[in-house]
Amino acid sequence: MSRDQRDGGSPGDAGGPDAGGPDAGGPDAGGPTVPRLLLGIQLRRCREAAGISPDQAGYEIRASRSKISRMENGQVRFKERDVTDLLTLYGVTDEKIRDGLVALVRQANAPGWWSKYGDIMADWFESYLGLEAAASVIRTFELQFVHGLFQTEDYARAVTLLGHTAAPAAEIDRRVSLRLKRQDLLNGSKPPQVWSVMDEGALRRPVGGAAVMRAQLHRLIEVAQLRHVTVQVVPFRRGGHAAAGGSFTVLRFAEPDVPDVVYLEHLTSALYLDKHEDVDHYMEVMNHLSTEALTPAESVRFIAGIIRDI
Amino acid sequence: MTDVSSTRGEPDAAAGTGIDTSVPHSARIWNYWLGGKDNYAVDRQAGEAYKEIFPGIAVVARTSRGFLTRAVAYLAGQAGIRQFLDIGTGLPTADNTHEVAQRVAPASKIVYVDNDPLVLAHARALLTSSPEGACEYLDADIRNPAAILDAAAGLLDFSQPIALMLMGIMGHFTDEEAYPIVRQLVAGLPSGSYFALYDGANTNEAFNQAQEGYNASGAVPYYLRSPEQFERFFAGLELVEPGVVPVPHWRPDPDAEPAEIYSYCGVGRKP
Repeated sequence: MSRDQRDGGSPGDAGGPDAGGPDAGGPDAGGPTVPRLLLGIQLRRCREAAGISPDQAGYEIRASRSKISRMENGQVRFKERDVTDLLTLYGVTDEKIRDGLVALVRQANAPGWWSKYGDIMADWFESYLGLEAAASVIRTFELQFVHGLFQTEDYARAVTLLGHTAAPAAEIDRRVSLRLKRQDLLNGSKPPQVWSVMDEGALRRPVGGAAVMRAQLHRLIEVAQLRHVTVQVVPFRRGGHAAAGGSFTVLRFAEPDVPDVVYLEHLTSALYLDKHEDVDHYMEVMNHLSTEALTPAESVRFIAGIIRDI
Repeated sequence: MTDVSSTRGEPDAAAGTGIDTSVPHSARIWNYWLGGKDNYAVDRQAGEAYKEIFPGIAVVARTSRGFLTRAVAYLAGQAGIRQFLDIGTGLPTADNTHEVAQRVAPASKIVYVDNDPLVLAHARALLTSSPEGACEYLDADIRNPAAILDAAAGLLDFSQPIALMLMGIMGHFTDEEAYPIVRQLVAGLPSGSYFALYDGANTNEAFNQAQEGYNASGAVPYYLRSPEQFERFFAGLELVEPGVVPVPHWRPDPDAEPAEIYSYCGVGRKP
């Protein structure tokens, strides 16, 4: 049911009043996540080049070694003073480099559009939204549910209700609205490429009932026509497939310095992997799935066939 | 140097889904040299090992890619070509053929041809056309030019000129194989069509040595050719200025920095 945390609504449905209003950190702005990652990567490089341990660095800014490691992993907000103190400690005196990194600090601290949903959102999911908004390519494998970026409002509501049976109606509405808001990503001026491989099971499971599911599948065919969206189905008849572990997402960023990130969602938490060995392994599985699956054109015909079956 | 994909076949095509991450894969190594992220540990190791013998390989990758960009921009621009047959697509990178062509002429139609399942899956998902133009994907082996021409006939208008692109793939074939393939492909194109090619040249001793080592390693071999051998690919065609030349010398961008010479290229027009 963790899904319901992250799965959003559907692109078309997102157009309500909620989508309006200039959003300082809307999808086009990318949000603070990539500046944070870049800042972290560069701080680590400078520290290692200076031969300074995380402990020493932490001492300098009155913090722990784990704070340094969280900074270098781009997981925390940065204080400008901490960054300039660290740069001084690392012997980085070039004003150009210092100014560039300070500018990154400001970007890294700008709130994302999702910050106003903080009350209904776990921190780990907030991180995901940041990464998603910043990604240039989003590759997903979905075992059970249609991906959040493609969900219709009704389907999103049905999935949300599965996870929050006791929640008041107003909260359900807000959760659904968050999902739909997320889909603005697909309609932005520079949308990411979304490449989604789905198990046939995700298409057959009638979440919300037959009518909701039919509409959802029609939506899926519709979004699959978008230039930046690819939908591929792994049919049952292909037998067992490469993703024994379940659904996962691989996020790719345009910045050459930022590694791919694998996102694995659990019931009450999520795992982010960005080490080469881990990413390699998941990317390999993702590539297997993409080559095992029907081609995008075949997949659309296949989904149309399921609509007739429902 | 292994280019663009496909490994022309053997090891990958034989194995199920065709992705074997236990052996280096030429499209993924190439991706690594280009600074891409679609490569695995085995590819990075192989790419690094090659680089140790021949550090110039990253320059080869970059400058060759630069030729593709300039050649396609020329073909879509000055030459007015709207149909491209790009055989040996490789993994997506910056400035893929359709992006360059459609930037100049949005209605351009591109047929990407490869026989590597990984390359094809990426092409179908990520090499997608502008709304005005079209991209098609063909699963075919260049060793069967007749089949490629047959299939392309259903996707392109053979009453209009077509640009045939063989970017870094003919090095995978000996002269005995390579010239007949090119001859047959060019023969199938209508008059006014173009043919663009680059490949690694044997004019640099360090490159020669690295490639010999690579070929001896059991990987799909790649042969470096002399400038004269490159000329032969264009027999019967009108060469576009400046002819068959080192890659950095082919219509360089005005602000281009001089680069070492490792590859040769040319663009010819079928009379």
